[in-house]
Amino acid sequence: MKQLKFYGLGGQGVVTAAKILSVAVSIHEGRYAITVPAYGHERRGAPVYTDVMVDQKPIQVNCFVYEPDIVVVLDEFIVEKHGIDVGRGKDEDTVLVLNTASGETAQRYADQFGFQTVYYVDATQVALDTIGKGIPNGSMLGALAHTGIASIGSVESALEEFFGKKAGEKNARAARTAYDNTKKL
Amino acid sequence: MRVQLEQLMTTPKSSEYKTILGPCAYVFTSSNTGSWRIERPRVDFSTCIQCGTCRMYCPADVITIHKGQQPPLEFQWDYCKGCGICANECPKHCIQMISERSAE
Amino acid sequence: MSHYKMLDGNAAAVEAMKMARVKVISAYPITPQSSISEKLSDLVDAGELDAKYIRVESEHTAMSCAVGAQLTGVRAATATSSVGLALMHEILNVASGCRVPIVMPVVNRSLASPWSLWCDHQDSMAERDSGWLQFYCENVQDVFDTLLCAYRIAEDRRVQTPVMVCLDGFFLSHSMQKVLLPEQDEVDGFLEEYIPKNAYLNPADPMVINDLTPTDEITEMKFQQAVGFAQAKVVAGEVFADFEKEFGRHKGVVEGYRAEDADAIIITQGSMSGTAKYVVDKLREGGQKVGAVKIVMFRPFPHEALRQACGSVKKIAVLDRTAGLGAQGTPLWLETKAALDGDVDVRSYVGGLAGRDISPMTIQKVFEDLHQEAPCDEVNWIDCKDDPMHLREVPLHV
Repeated sequence: MKQLKFYGLGGQGVVTAAKILSVAVSIHEGRYAITVPAYGHERRGAPVYTDVMVDQKPIQVNCFVYEPDIVVVLDEFIVEKHGIDVGRGKDEDTVLVLNTASGETAQRYADQFGFQTVYYVDATQVALDTIGKGIPNGSMLGALAHTGIASIGSVESALEEFFGKKAGEKNARAARTAYDNTKKL
Repeated sequence: MRVQLEQLMTTPKSSEYKTILGPCAYVFTSSNTGSWRIERPRVDFSTCIQCGTCRMYCPADVITIHKGQQPPLEFQWDYCKGCGICANECPKHCIQMISERSAE
Repeated sequence: MSHYKMLDGNAAAVEAMKMARVKVISAYPITPQSSISEKLSDLVDAGELDAKYIRVESEHTAMSCAVGAQLTGVRAATATSSVGLALMHEILNVASGCRVPIVMPVVNRSLASPWSLWCDHQDSMAERDSGWLQFYCENVQDVFDTLLCAYRIAEDRRVQTPVMVCLDGFFLSHSMQKVLLPEQDEVDGFLEEYIPKNAYLNPADPMVINDLTPTDEITEMKFQQAVGFAQAKVVAGEVFADFEKEFGRHKGVVEGYRAEDADAIIITQGSMSGTAKYVVDKLREGGQKVGAVKIVMFRPFPHEALRQACGSVKKIAVLDRTAGLGAQGTPLWLETKAALDGDVDVRSYVGGLAGRDISPMTIQKVFEDLHQEAPCDEVNWIDCKDDPMHLREVPLHV
């Protein structure tokens, strides 16, 4: 079983990203995924997190993720601005997928939290270029495909299915562009 | 209780009757509330102007006005409880409550 | 052909209500139930569900409308949560007393106060004596499956009693999971059109419903309800067997998991049951002979089936998602204790209140405590902080 934790801010589509990933895995790859969203006193701009579990067989456990295999951070300022510990529960193999344009920032995350593998991409810029809005969830899913949790093809299909034809195509393009531009540390 | 439960759970339904569970009833019996009457209204038809105020106020809806006919007012005695509201409300004070026993 | 879909618990509930062809909907939105009322309203608006949607001003009215609507001879739909269920309390008893077989999803949420939006079982546990059947779901597939079965059980002439299908707020209502959905014609084969078998409202054949009932009949009417509950155990078994034949998924009123040869078992309800099974597997790998038992049907309480599922196990933990304040133990513990022999060490645990996670660590802690020799006669508050009496401590002003 693979466990994922998504961190971001209200309005970035964090919960939606987790849902779309679960569709990619379950419907397009024949495996099983569940999302365990943490709803709180929602407002735009507040820190949000959500969890996903993925497995070859139906998932029995239904609770939050404490020891993530993959951490997805949709906003690079979440650590300094909101004091979120994105390294919580990680082990030495935990992979980070980060929304940032800067290799330096990615390196800082790697050093601060001890991530040995970091994938990073300027997902917000990709989103602005492809969908015209700075909502980075679709493009982050493209970057996430590099971890092997779901193929980029499945992510594209899931985005198209979830958002419908027009918005779905744009989001799928965002995912593909981000996938092509993702750098590894 | 156990025996009772087991018996009832296996008792076949009678074909002639349908049992309804819960507080429901097919049979309607309206009781003759007129029998509760201790006093009854008597109308002085010489001063009655057939305005219908008594009919409007009657909580049992037992008063019927027959405009221009004699008598112009009719009570449904089966359901008049003799509450006296009509007598109270009559603008001409032409309704008087009299003892049920003394009524003709 | 059945097909897979990703749905959250609320969407699965809506799918089931839609496939049951509900004809009147009177729902009042409340977190975390809201997406049920919204989605039903969308379906009616889009013409995908041939039903009348009544916008009501409260849950009291929602249930009143559902009672009236169902009595006209259709399936009525409503759903609620937490304080909404509490506001329905009066009419819940009217529905069950009048034997109106409404099926209602209850999205479990803590009952105020303290105000909370998150999951525990206080809301539905507070209604356990309201004369409704209660089923608790483990996962999203289970929400769909249990609802379909619930219509059959509720409407069976032998039962003729309303049903609450309880799903954990957020952990199920907002958790996306893979669900195998049957086609409408398959559901139609399993769940036929609703035909009222008891009281109904028809101007051509009038009947008085819920009249002032004299003392000399009420004991008997309550006894009729008790018979309905007793029959519900039989009917649930039949319906679940039918369901398995039709859709291939096994269901029981009580489900044991590796409990047959266990030395110690944990009894759970709702979404934590999956986590309990997961922990049982882990502990078994480490050589501990533990098992889990899930209570699917809480009302009527299946004490015979529970006794069977527990076998000869002498150490049992009951983990309740409600505090059961003032009682000797939590509600599920009381039922379990009453069902089993006196020599079984049954311990009462409270956990997962108002959205506090029941993680594998929580379940593990329960098992660890259960292995402690000296049994505790009090309720064990699992995962409670060490200094609960000093929460929100403030400086003295006067």
